[in-house]
Amino acid sequence: MAGTGSSEIVHSTAAQYAPYILLLPMLAFPVILFLGKMYNGNKMWKETLKEGGLIALPVMGASLALSLWLISDFIGAYGGVKELSDWTWFTSSMWNSGVVTTEITFGFGVHIDHITVMLLFIASFLCLLINTFAIGYMNTDPINDNRNHRFYAEFVLFCSGMLGMVLADSFLWLFIFWELMGLCSYLLIGFYYERPSAAYAAKKAFLTTRVGDVFLMVGLAVLWDLFGSLDYAVVFNEYNIDKVAASNPGTLAWALGLMFIGAVGKSAQFPLHVWLPDAMEGPTPVSALIHAATMVNAGLYLVARMFPFFGAESMHGELADLAFIIAAIGGTTAVMAAAIAFVQHDLKKVLAYSTMSQLAYIFTGLGAALYLANTLHWHEYLVDGTKNPDYYVNHAIVIVAFGAALFHLFNHAMAKGMLFMASGAVIHEVHHAHHHLHPHDDHHHEEDPKELLMLANYLMETGQSVFGFFNSIDLDQSGEVDTYEFQKALKDANIADLPPWEMQALMKALDMDGNGRINVPELELTLGRVHLASLAGDDDHHDHHDEFDAQSMENMGGLASKMPLTATAMLVGSLSIMGFPLIGGFWSKEGIIANTWRVALEDPRFFYPALCVLLGAGMTGFYMSRMWLKTFAGSPKTDVAAHVHPTNTWIKTPLFILTFVSLAGVIFASMGFTHWAPDIEYGLMSDHGGLWGGFLYEMEHVFANEKMFFFILTYVALFIGAVVGPGLALSLYGGKLDAGEEAKPWFGPVLALNAAIKGRYHWDNSAFGKSGFATALENRLYFDHYYDMAMLKIVAAFSNKAAEADSSVIDGTVKTVERTSQQLSTSIRSLTTGSARDYILMAALGTLVLFGLIWGVVA
Amino acid sequence: MIDPAWVSGLSALLFVIGLAGAFTRKNAIIVLMCIELMLNAANMQFAAAAVHHGDTTGWVYTIFAIAIAASEVAIGLAIFLAMYGQHESITLDDVNVLKN
Repeated sequence: MAGTGSSEIVHSTAAQYAPYILLLPMLAFPVILFLGKMYNGNKMWKETLKEGGLIALPVMGASLALSLWLISDFIGAYGGVKELSDWTWFTSSMWNSGVVTTEITFGFGVHIDHITVMLLFIASFLCLLINTFAIGYMNTDPINDNRNHRFYAEFVLFCSGMLGMVLADSFLWLFIFWELMGLCSYLLIGFYYERPSAAYAAKKAFLTTRVGDVFLMVGLAVLWDLFGSLDYAVVFNEYNIDKVAASNPGTLAWALGLMFIGAVGKSAQFPLHVWLPDAMEGPTPVSALIHAATMVNAGLYLVARMFPFFGAESMHGELADLAFIIAAIGGTTAVMAAAIAFVQHDLKKVLAYSTMSQLAYIFTGLGAALYLANTLHWHEYLVDGTKNPDYYVNHAIVIVAFGAALFHLFNHAMAKGMLFMASGAVIHEVHHAHHHLHPHDDHHHEEDPKELLMLANYLMETGQSVFGFFNSIDLDQSGEVDTYEFQKALKDANIADLPPWEMQALMKALDMDGNGRINVPELELTLGRVHLASLAGDDDHHDHHDEFDAQSMENMGGLASKMPLTATAMLVGSLSIMGFPLIGGFWSKEGIIANTWRVALEDPRFFYPALCVLLGAGMTGFYMSRMWLKTFAGSPKTDVAAHVHPTNTWIKTPLFILTFVSLAGVIFASMGFTHWAPDIEYGLMSDHGGLWGGFLYEMEHVFANEKMFFFILTYVALFIGAVVGPGLALSLYGGKLDAGEEAKPWFGPVLALNAAIKGRYHWDNSAFGKSGFATALENRLYFDHYYDMAMLKIVAAFSNKAAEADSSVIDGTVKTVERTSQQLSTSIRSLTTGSARDYILMAALGTLVLFGLIWGVVA
Repeated sequence: MIDPAWVSGLSALLFVIGLAGAFTRKNAIIVLMCIELMLNAANMQFAAAAVHHGDTTGWVYTIFAIAIAASEVAIGLAIFLAMYGQHESITLDDVNVLKN
């Protein structure tokens, strides 16, 4: 951290090993991929090495160990370690740009400060836990057999992307790793690429974030133009910031604003939020990875990184508008996403919108903190060199505001990682229970495709014989029909227009001798059988096509007794997200709300985000409670939910660990995480007299604030977030468990409260469910719709025009040249008759002409 | 001693006869013979010029031209043999593979 002069460079051995934190996973990527390719299906590879899972696990473990070593060095040095190792890639000559002259060096270095340390721990810790979870989740599902190596390879690459982005010492490397993550998110969301919806979601995520990335790139270019470098050492140098601030502060504001748009895309904030819910198409560990450990934190990290610009005394007041925009976008998203989460039935979708909403909280908190850093005089010395009289008060305000946002990032990551893994456990077990109860669904593919029945009906209606039909579709008259011919026949008969890969199943159903083509007897026999089967078992047929959705909360209920650990983890995670007193997110959420209101008192514009986060607290309480109650309380809504079993150890372990991390929020807060921000002069547990002192300080600060305004605000927020929101959910959803179902004692109060409130205050909310607003929410407020429309109208129209211009202007020129030369050659070609006598004549005439010429020259 | 002018005149006559034959005849061998005729006409012109100037350079050229004519005949006949192998004919009108 540049800025105040408190930090000194400490040479740490751990820092020399810091690059291995990201290099180990990056090297594991090709190893897993190639071993997976070579030994695919091999028994030892599959069972002992878990298709690469047990290669990834020690690698991530080593990354975490190195990270912890580095972090302990950093904390031991009281925040004085920075940029410990630098590997120069290449150096270029002096570069004069804007007002700062620097030598351009491209190299990779490690930059370590408070923000790095926080994110580094979150990423490496959660990646390891998610890896553990994935072994229990991915390797037990037959659908993933023989392709898990792809998952683990992309997984470690993703992790190395995040770790690299956090450790990088320049915006250039940040951008490179940022894009690496973008690529991996595309690959992992599209892991089940054979599903069109997954392929679509992957493309959507990639392209939506790319929109933001373009702005980020432009922003970085502007930043480069101002500073002549993207190295943190240069751009965060106070002297350089002063110079830029003196000449063109407005341009710097624009650069930061453009970079912020990149963060909006990556962290799925309004209006670039549309990709996040669809990203649920990936396997659940990927969701946990994207939502908790890596991807979405990248945007927050980028904004947090901008702190030195906002905090610089010379930029005083110049960036207040940008800070407001950050907070306002956060506030808008917080409420919007929470509202959409109200009506989601898919367990993972609720969590997706919850992520969006909580990230928005962090953005709001960052916006408020950056506003404070930008408008308060919080440095020890003023610009003119005199001692700042308000130093202690203002410094503490800025640090605490920033710390609250960063701490919420930590709490949210831990809770959301746990929630996603718990939801994964639920989905996994519901899925298994479903397969156990309805094994015939396993043979889904052996059923007759409906297209064949339609074809049989089509032939009957049009009165064609099978033989006649066959002859008409056998285009090359080879006596056998291949995939292409059959596809065309189905299309011409208006039955189905299937892509080639879906034709495979159809061909397989028909092709009895397995030669890849159909002949007349095969078609005749199969169509006859299909037709008979349809007459015999019409009712039976419909059941089979009724897809069971293992992710829908409508199929769950009453799972608290079946999956006690998962239910506990989910409960703790939900409470942490809701901001239930003393648990995890409570400390940071209260801090964000309080600081946003603090800013609102200074600047009335901030009343908008302030009201949004206050309202959002209640909405969070509602949708998180609704999710838990619908899944775990009440009686099972389907026979499947009644037969769910506890999950396996690989899945349980991370849940168990994270439950304690979330519960331990009070310990982290006491340790001083609430003011873990750049520019503090102390490490952990050194501020308020150790753990106990810190605890007393935090408790007093939150529950008995000496300022009347914040005292009241705390209790209002608590009332809304922990009483009103959950209370509404308790009255609407859940209920007592079925008789005979035993739940763990700690669920007792929740379930009893639920039963009591639901029994007394339950009302019918189906009218709201049918209202236009609910429909709009279910359709995600039509964002996708309008984006698609805009794409069609603007992009597609532009593409058409561009295509026209291409064919008429560019192709036109080329084609004219081609046509002219062809005409010319045709006329010249007619001279060559092929007759030897003509050639002799031409030779003679040529000689004559030559003679004539020479005669003319000589004479 | 014959006046070299007569020899030049004979040479010109031979050349025109050879040219006319090359234009009009269809048989490839006759065309080749006509070409040889033209070559000989040129040789004769060289010889006449050598006598006229009293210089042996013309004789040297004549001997070179005869050697070249011999090899040319060999190549030409080989071409006709190949042509016959492909087209079963050495009539020039039957062969126009280079057309267009």
